[in-house]
Amino acid sequence: MRGIQLSLNQTQRLRLQTALELLETLSSKASLNASVTVADNIPVNYEDGVLKYKPEIGDIIVGRVIEVAPKRWRLEINFIQDAVLMLSSMTLPDGIQRRRTAVDELNMRSIFEEIDVVCAEVRGFQHDGSLHLQARSQKYGKLERGQLLTIPPYLVKRRKQHFHHLEQYGVDLIIGCNGFIWVGEHVEAKDDMVVDDQVNKSEQHSSKSRNWTSLEEQEQTHTPAETRQNICRIANAIRVLSTLGFNVTLDVIMETVYLSSSLNLEIHEMLGAEFCVLVAESEAERRSSSAKRKG
Amino acid sequence: MVGLSAGEKHFIQGGIAQDLRADGRKRLNYRPIYVETGVIPQADGSAKVKMGATEVIASVKLDLARPNPSQPGKGKVSLFVSCSATAGPMFEGRGSEELSTELSVALQRCLLGGKSGAGAAFDPSCLSIVDGKLCWDAYIDGLVVSADGNLLDALGAAIKAALTNTRVPVANVPAGASLDEDPDVDLSSQETTRIDTSGVPVIVTLTKVGRHYIVDATSEEESQMSSAVSVSINKERRICGLTKRGGAGLDPSIILDMISVASHVSEQLMNKLDSEIAAAEADEQDT
Repeated sequence: MRGIQLSLNQTQRLRLQTALELLETLSSKASLNASVTVADNIPVNYEDGVLKYKPEIGDIIVGRVIEVAPKRWRLEINFIQDAVLMLSSMTLPDGIQRRRTAVDELNMRSIFEEIDVVCAEVRGFQHDGSLHLQARSQKYGKLERGQLLTIPPYLVKRRKQHFHHLEQYGVDLIIGCNGFIWVGEHVEAKDDMVVDDQVNKSEQHSSKSRNWTSLEEQEQTHTPAETRQNICRIANAIRVLSTLGFNVTLDVIMETVYLSSSLNLEIHEMLGAEFCVLVAESEAERRSSSAKRKG
Repeated sequence: MVGLSAGEKHFIQGGIAQDLRADGRKRLNYRPIYVETGVIPQADGSAKVKMGATEVIASVKLDLARPNPSQPGKGKVSLFVSCSATAGPMFEGRGSEELSTELSVALQRCLLGGKSGAGAAFDPSCLSIVDGKLCWDAYIDGLVVSADGNLLDALGAAIKAALTNTRVPVANVPAGASLDEDPDVDLSSQETTRIDTSGVPVIVTLTKVGRHYIVDATSEEESQMSSAVSVSINKERRICGLTKRGGAGLDPSIILDMISVASHVSEQLMNKLDSEIAAAEADEQDT
């Protein structure tokens, strides 16, 4: 049963098994005139390269800066090698398109520092197989005010859209093809450059002198409570789907979130055994009803 | 542990201040606890406990030995914790020594009681076979398999479960046999006795982040802590052990407040653990 280690009681275990079996038969019925006979089960070690992230040009990924090197940043992206984001592939804070000077190179840390979370696009492959990234558009860049989740990369399918601005929740959801998912407070795209610069500078000042800012001042800049609740609900939905091994797409995430709010569940209860079984059952039902409508 | 960007740290601190942590828990909620007993068949008692991504295993092994002359009617108990290299790259080689020693000492203080054996988690006289001559030595070992914060609580729970799972073999010593050399102890009877673990305390760790305390911190939340107080409390709501970690100083009134919060939380944790351990034991007997 995939070794899902939750404390399921007997009934929950049965329900989960039925739901997962139903999903398996549905996925094999999708190929209309074929019949599938399972002859043997080969246990796959999830650490192997078989299920690793397979990058393609144009993929949207989320990564974490691990090194600031001359004229480039090195990012960790849940891949066997680290990716490289060149300074020339990154929009400058003032938005002007110009040649990068030595001063720009010295100021790289004012754009991204070590451990920052960054969103970018795959531009190409380097000769040694590592990835080249670019972050030229307004929608790419540093991600703050939220949380980063890690799921197995094969659960993310390539779609037309990976950036989702969920207006009714005020939440930004970025589903990186490498298995890193960002859920955070909605931040307006950097239209007003100047204002943003000032905000960035004041944030940097406050982060450097964090010892001196009082707790009250920090509390004023915290994410509002309702947005935070939405962020946590969506993050937990993604966690449950990842535990169950379901593909993580916007529709499924939203379904799970509706399910949890319709049941009036506390947010932390979404990580419990009962909700896990309910999600599996509702997904099985959803797919079987859509299969019936087609066939 | 890779580290968190300033924005993520701010988000975590904000969550704790607003009583809504990253996974939706309130400040005093535990993660779902998963208990499995009998995971090491060669040991006399064993248990695995998972709290979120933190996974620990505890085992109890019994060896025949001579009791301490100062306590002839009791067996000896020793406890040691080690961290597996699979828990993280910082645990490779000798990297885990400091953490292992810290955890071992804290658990020994909570569970083993003083030199005279008073205040121990369970009565070591249940390990005695022949007064003054023969007893069981209990070796309790803890292993951290995966570390995502709150190791002390998880180890305390695992040791409690492992002790509940322990079956002490009944040793028949032929009457009149001389016990000064190696005696002929008959262990062929399949009978076993159990250890009374009703007095074993649970450990509740309160981590202080900013102005608030949280229970069951993940390693991300622990990286933001200023200090942490671990209180070990038994069923009668009495404190069996107390440890403070972290460089920041605490006002005495805050420590007293943390102790009372821990005492309040311990009741729920104790009930939850007892029911999970009972369920795990029942499961084990079925299989």
